[in-house]
Amino acid sequence: MLKMNNLCKSFRTELVETHALRNFTFSVDEGDFVSVTGPSGSGKTTFLNIAGLLENHTSGSYLLDGIDVKTLSDKQRSQLRNEKIGFIFQSFNLIPDLNLFDNVDVPLRYRGLSRAERHQRIEESLARVGLANRMKHLPSQLSGGQQQRVAIARALAGKPRFLLADEPTGNLDSQMAKSVMGLLQEINQQGTTIVMVTHDPELAMQTSRNVFVRDGQISEAETIMPLAAASNQ
Amino acid sequence: MSNLEFGPIMRALLRNKVGAILIALQIAVTMTIIVNAVFIIVERKAMMERESGLDEANTFYLTTTGFGKDFESKRVTIEDLALIRNTPGVIDAIQVNAIPMSGSGWSMGLATQPGEEIESVGTANYMVDDHALNTYDAELLAGENFSPEDIRFRERNQSDWPDLAIITQALAKSLFPELGIDEVVGKTIYIGDNEAMIIKGIIDKLQAPWVGWNNLDHVTLTPEMMAFPSMRYLIRTEPGMRDKLMTSLEETLANQYPNRIIRNVETITATRDKSYRQHSAMINILTATMILLTLITALGIIGLASFNVNRRRKQIGTRRALGASKQAIIRYFMVENLIISSFGLILGVGLTIGLNFMLIEWFAVKALDWYYIPTGVVLLFVVGQLAAFGPAFRAAQISPALATRTI
Amino acid sequence: MFTYYLNLAVKSIRRNMGLSSLMVLAIALGIGACMTTVTVNYMMSSNPIPHKSDQLFYVQLDNWGPHFPFNDENEPPNQVTWRDANNLMQHRQFKQVAMGTSGAVIESDNRELKPFMAGIRLTYTNFFSMFEPPFLYGGPWPSDADDNMEQVVVLSKKTNQQVFEGENSVGRSLTIGGNRFRVVGVLDDYEPIPRFYDVSTGAFQSPEDVFMPLTLKRPLELSSGGNNNCWKDPDGEGFEGYLMSECINYQFWVELNDIAEQKQYLSFLNAYVEEQKTLGRFPRPLNNRISAIMEWMEIQEVVADDAQIMMWLASLFLLVCLLNTVGLLLSKYATRTSDIALRRAIGATKQAIFSQYITESALIGILGGILGLALALAGIEAVKSMYGDFISEHVGMDLTIVGIAIVLSIVSSVLAGCYPAWKACSVPPATQLRNQ
Repeated sequence: MLKMNNLCKSFRTELVETHALRNFTFSVDEGDFVSVTGPSGSGKTTFLNIAGLLENHTSGSYLLDGIDVKTLSDKQRSQLRNEKIGFIFQSFNLIPDLNLFDNVDVPLRYRGLSRAERHQRIEESLARVGLANRMKHLPSQLSGGQQQRVAIARALAGKPRFLLADEPTGNLDSQMAKSVMGLLQEINQQGTTIVMVTHDPELAMQTSRNVFVRDGQISEAETIMPLAAASNQ
Repeated sequence: MSNLEFGPIMRALLRNKVGAILIALQIAVTMTIIVNAVFIIVERKAMMERESGLDEANTFYLTTTGFGKDFESKRVTIEDLALIRNTPGVIDAIQVNAIPMSGSGWSMGLATQPGEEIESVGTANYMVDDHALNTYDAELLAGENFSPEDIRFRERNQSDWPDLAIITQALAKSLFPELGIDEVVGKTIYIGDNEAMIIKGIIDKLQAPWVGWNNLDHVTLTPEMMAFPSMRYLIRTEPGMRDKLMTSLEETLANQYPNRIIRNVETITATRDKSYRQHSAMINILTATMILLTLITALGIIGLASFNVNRRRKQIGTRRALGASKQAIIRYFMVENLIISSFGLILGVGLTIGLNFMLIEWFAVKALDWYYIPTGVVLLFVVGQLAAFGPAFRAAQISPALATRTI
Repeated sequence: MFTYYLNLAVKSIRRNMGLSSLMVLAIALGIGACMTTVTVNYMMSSNPIPHKSDQLFYVQLDNWGPHFPFNDENEPPNQVTWRDANNLMQHRQFKQVAMGTSGAVIESDNRELKPFMAGIRLTYTNFFSMFEPPFLYGGPWPSDADDNMEQVVVLSKKTNQQVFEGENSVGRSLTIGGNRFRVVGVLDDYEPIPRFYDVSTGAFQSPEDVFMPLTLKRPLELSSGGNNNCWKDPDGEGFEGYLMSECINYQFWVELNDIAEQKQYLSFLNAYVEEQKTLGRFPRPLNNRISAIMEWMEIQEVVADDAQIMMWLASLFLLVCLLNTVGLLLSKYATRTSDIALRRAIGATKQAIFSQYITESALIGILGGILGLALALAGIEAVKSMYGDFISEHVGMDLTIVGIAIVLSIVSSVLAGCYPAWKACSVPPATQLRNQ
């Protein structure tokens, strides 16, 4: 599904060159639920940005679903993001001016789906996160947990094979965090590959695989956690 | 195209009405001003382009004023004209009471029947001799020119008229709407209620002295010279000779007799500029207003769009992350501008027509031709789109990675 | 506290130089355009003789022909005939003045000076007491000079400069149109705007070079200037026939102190016309009128349509500039929500925030107003150069106009700043701290 080999990412300013990722080699298989942990500044977000095609890497190779993304144009990358990847952000990133329906509609519009298809998917995915009856509400009228559910619905509506979650529970209290996590696990069990970046080891324990990033490199200490620990939630 | 996003953009706009309303209002008022201003400009331009009939580039005139009890105006006029006409470079010259477009002159009423109860047609009167047609560069369409025997002298305070006249084609049409110009020749007309004159000839074109008069093309030439102490000479020169002759003739004439002054030596071109100055000034001022206004509105659109882009950086990054291409982001802002412009222009059409009605009501402005409205609409759509493109393009450069930043 | 807000405003304006200059420029252009056109209109509609404008009345009599009115609206003719001017002047119980124009060549006794053409105002001595032009030397001619047709003149300052090199010329003589005249007075600078006493040939010309008794017109056969309008040809021949015709060429004014006098004068006019009707003149129904100066200026449409159109368009222009400013201020203040929220959180009241932001708006307005005044000055020069003598060369900004401009710019920018400042002060204190 996702294969990074010897990947490097460096930022250059006039004075210094910073290496955010160094010889980063990592792969995710279809159906995995991988958590990426590490202290802040370790390169987690850079990894996420590159994995999600939000940024390009400097060297090395990255194959997403067998496609070498390095050679793609901006338009092709956008299309790939739209079709294969679903994003869940720490601060939800809902568009405040749009109601829930229109928010979930955003990626579908860029897909160029028909009106009927879009309607069906929006209703389906909002129903799936339990917010079918709030379609006309604005994000500001919802609680944080509900907002993150909308963000998940938005990610799901595009039927992505690969879900990227960036601290999905970072802005939520523990009760809400738990329910969001449960939702992610459910989605994973239905076949969607998930990579979740988090600094919370407890959350990482609930995924099928955890990698640790430090100083822009994968730490060898990979821990495989039994999936069963969380699945009975 | 479903990804034009009209619906969501509209709904998002409704959440941020004020900025959009401000821009829409600006566009509406800008359209109102521009369309009405352009209309006035076009009207004035057409007015200024009307031809005087003269060989304008090569004609000038001057005033000679004799003073003292023993000034013999008849002798001086005859000698002056002989001198001027024999000057190399002069095509022809006449003594005349008034100059086309100059703003001062004589006018009378003409009628096809005698009697003061008959409504008359206004005409400007030029008192000229048989050299007039050549000096005026006028073409005789029917009838004949005056002959030297036709010319009389009009004394100071003499109020009767000669019995012959040459009139312009436009005046002939107004007097005898149903006759062809050949038939008009030989007809009798009555000047000042009951004095008969016979039309001897018809010329193509000559303008009256008053550019704002609605009978501008109504001119009557009568065969007479004036024995007045103050009179004008109109002089037509060969191409390129005008300016040289203006100086040399002024000097020659001034030296000819001690008891007179030569003044107001002026070209027809200068006279035209002076008479239409008000209109050319209006055109210049309106043009400047339009340009500045368009600029201000465009800058306003750029300013507000930039602000919107800045305010929505995170949102734009998110959209990019969710799969929007750069073009899709540009399109978003362009469509947004299109929607705002549409509202502004709908209001603008109403305001434009409203202002036009007010200008008609209060001032002598005509009703707008219909095609000014769609032209104005299209123009402002284009201005709006051009102004919105810059900020839209910058919005498209926002990195999708912004979506994951939590500041 | 105010200096603190001012300080913050200056800093904020400096921080966003581009946006700030755009706003200042927009206000300046709007104010500049508005003030230019307002000045032109203000000048055109200015009261040339404010302390007497309620007492001076222009007189109109309808001596026009039986078949057609003077104009489509059936207004009485805008001037009077020689006969009526003279007849009315016989009635000394009213303070009246008749006048007309002429032109003649002036020859100085000094042979070095070239003869030149001068514009002449023919009038009565009442002209000077009614319209009060300032005298440099001497004074008006005595009223018996009118009756006795004495060849006396009052010169303009410029003419006195030309002929007598600016010396006190009272008592000296000069030749005008071949006749000898004695100088009784020299005017000081006199430039009424508009030149209200005679607007028949344009309202913004300078007064004439020479003033002399109107009664001299007949004996000296002085030529007629100005607008000459007849509804029928003169019955008689020659100069005399023309004088006695129904042609209108003279302006007529009367000074009346109150409504009672106005009524009295109108009934006097009506009685006069009735009397003339018995002589076979005045074939039209009674249609006499007196109009106070400003009313007369309005009837004569002294303020050109174009000037008014431009003023309307300029006001709309200012409106666009203000909308623009509101939009830009809104944008600018919106980027400062966190700053505001912080200030609110540490105890700034709503009023304090509002004051801070309205100060910034006003500062932008004042800067725009000052620049706008400069633009208006340039604009007036441009208008003058484009129009030439269509509007007077004496147009300029006086204190009233400068005051209007400053008030207009501050008021409009504070108005424009109100909504954005209100928006700014309604930012809640807490929420913005956590997120964003």
